[in-house]
Amino acid sequence: MAVASVTEQSGRTVVALSGEIDMEEAPKVRRALLDSLKQKRDVLVDLSQVTYIDSSGIASLIEGLQAARKQKNDLALVSVSQRARRVLELARLDKVFTIHADLATALAAAKG
Amino acid sequence: MAEPNPIEAPVENGLTDPLEFAAALSRSFAQTQDIDHTVRQALAQIVALLRVEAGAIFLLDEMQANLVCRASAGPVDVTGLSVPNGSGIVGRAVAEDSIQVVEHAYQDQGFFAEADRKTGFVTRSILAAPMSVGRSAIGAVEVLNKQNGKPFNTKDQNLLRVVAASSALAISNARMADRLVAQERLQREVELAAEIQRHLLPAEEDENSPISGLLRPIQEVSGDFYDHFELPDGTIAFAIGDVSGKGLNASLLMSQTASLFRCLGKTVRDPARLMSILNREICATVSRGMFVTMISGLYEPATGRLRFANAGHIPPLLRRPNHRSVEMPADSPPLGILPGSKYETEEVNLDGAQFILCTDGVTEFRFGDEELGTEGLDMLIDTARGKPIAQRLNAVVEELQRAGWRSRDDLTLLAIDDGMAARSVEQRAESERDTPDPSDFLFGLSFPADPKRLKLVRPAIRAAAEACGFDENETDDVLLAAGEAIENIIVHAYGNRRGEIALAVHRMADGLMLRIRDFAPNVDPAKIQPRKLEDVRPGGLGTHFIRAVMDDATFIPLPDGEGNLLELIKRKR
Repeated sequence: MAVASVTEQSGRTVVALSGEIDMEEAPKVRRALLDSLKQKRDVLVDLSQVTYIDSSGIASLIEGLQAARKQKNDLALVSVSQRARRVLELARLDKVFTIHADLATALAAAKG
Repeated sequence: MAEPNPIEAPVENGLTDPLEFAAALSRSFAQTQDIDHTVRQALAQIVALLRVEAGAIFLLDEMQANLVCRASAGPVDVTGLSVPNGSGIVGRAVAEDSIQVVEHAYQDQGFFAEADRKTGFVTRSILAAPMSVGRSAIGAVEVLNKQNGKPFNTKDQNLLRVVAASSALAISNARMADRLVAQERLQREVELAAEIQRHLLPAEEDENSPISGLLRPIQEVSGDFYDHFELPDGTIAFAIGDVSGKGLNASLLMSQTASLFRCLGKTVRDPARLMSILNREICATVSRGMFVTMISGLYEPATGRLRFANAGHIPPLLRRPNHRSVEMPADSPPLGILPGSKYETEEVNLDGAQFILCTDGVTEFRFGDEELGTEGLDMLIDTARGKPIAQRLNAVVEELQRAGWRSRDDLTLLAIDDGMAARSVEQRAESERDTPDPSDFLFGLSFPADPKRLKLVRPAIRAAAEACGFDENETDDVLLAAGEAIENIIVHAYGNRRGEIALAVHRMADGLMLRIRDFAPNVDPAKIQPRKLEDVRPGGLGTHFIRAVMDDATFIPLPDGEGNLLELIKRKR
């Protein structure tokens, strides 16, 4: 279950991922992100339950980010697990994504 | 300066014999340290001796265009007076190389009356003797107005000839000595500067090093420089630079810049910051109008990571295997122009690529109207394809010179061959690679090339890594690398078609070895290129992850048609 839930909270779409995001699961993440962006809302991707993510998973996040930017929405990461952070850093993408410590902080953050 | 020895007073001593006078004059010239002073004294003596009103020595200037008065004796000082060569009685003495006796100056058509008009002196009679050394004329000495109104006699002529000859020799010797001293001093300075510069260049002893440079100065000293040295953690600091201008000034600025880089490069680990500091230092000391273009950076042979900053230098050439070469241009200004200039660090993962730096002496290599340019250099690098980078650089220069290309500038090349770094890692792996002990063979797995199997394989690898004593983070890294390697096989080796993957896991004394094999046609490791990380698009980051988290990643050659075998090694800290 790579995509645990997709909910709406305070005007934003929260996509919670979980488990192992590898080549098998990445297409599901990609689809979930692109679908959620159809709401034209900013997206928060919760990574707290992610135990494994590799280059395929990262690629899905990047595609989501690019699609969001294209329609002038933001896609930010929330509660990035230690594992996910390590891989983002290896890819030197930790500065490309906006990363919030947790969901409450992310929702409190000024929109835009 | 010591007071020059006065000439022995010939008149008082009754030295009217030309030979004795000549001897005294020669001694004085031999002892003197101030040739002008001695010439003036000699002139004063001859004026007294010949009982004339005035005397002067004229020397040809460098262009041989004018005769300029170097010393004078008499009521008016005409030192500095210039007479066009060939004019006047002195001019005639020089032109005809013969002594001139003129009894009535104003009746002689050759007389240069201009001098009298300028000085108010009235010339009546003239005696002028040419001065020459060997066959070349250097000037003439003349005396004016015999006091008793008598004409100049033979004795007067002989005495003046003696003065002319001795003075000519003394002046010529002094000039030669001055030139020699100046030349020697300059030569010593140049040799010293060249020596210092040679010591500033790296030794280039290791032909298998992934970085190598060469510098061919056009003169003894150079305005170019390059350097590279290894830091304690294995990172290599490098720089190439070109000082505007040539000669000693440029070479001194080059030496200063190279020394600063040597010094700062050991501690400043951010190329942009290093450039800012260098720029400030050079701005503070540089003479007006000179500047330095430079690229400096840090290269990690272990990962292929390269960071560099470019201060107005020719863009580096990035040569990826099987890709068109690209130039990486810079917007930052050269060093030494504005103290506040901003520099930026650019980053790239070479991943087996070559990174070529040069000075414009290389790109401006000419053959007739044709200029080599970056494209020509790009082609020439492959002259010695397959050879170590040091040999390839030499081959570039040799090939150009053999083909008759000429450069008017110093030429410097500096190149990093990340492919060689990978090879040297591989070679080390080869020698260290013991045949795994059967007892250390943990397990083998065979599974279809299908993303759905990844999840099933990971727990086994996790268990093996933990069994080898890796901590949680290291274990996760091993899983990441293994997963990426398997995904690469699925996508690149089998092209998402059906196939089989075999995994063997071995325990090593200091870590873990994974051997992952496919049975697809051979994969050229150089073709599995991670994309540029700066270029944020979805795509394969996998190879980059593998290199970043594993200690060794090596394709082990298999016979054609036998598939590919990738060996991954993770060592314990």
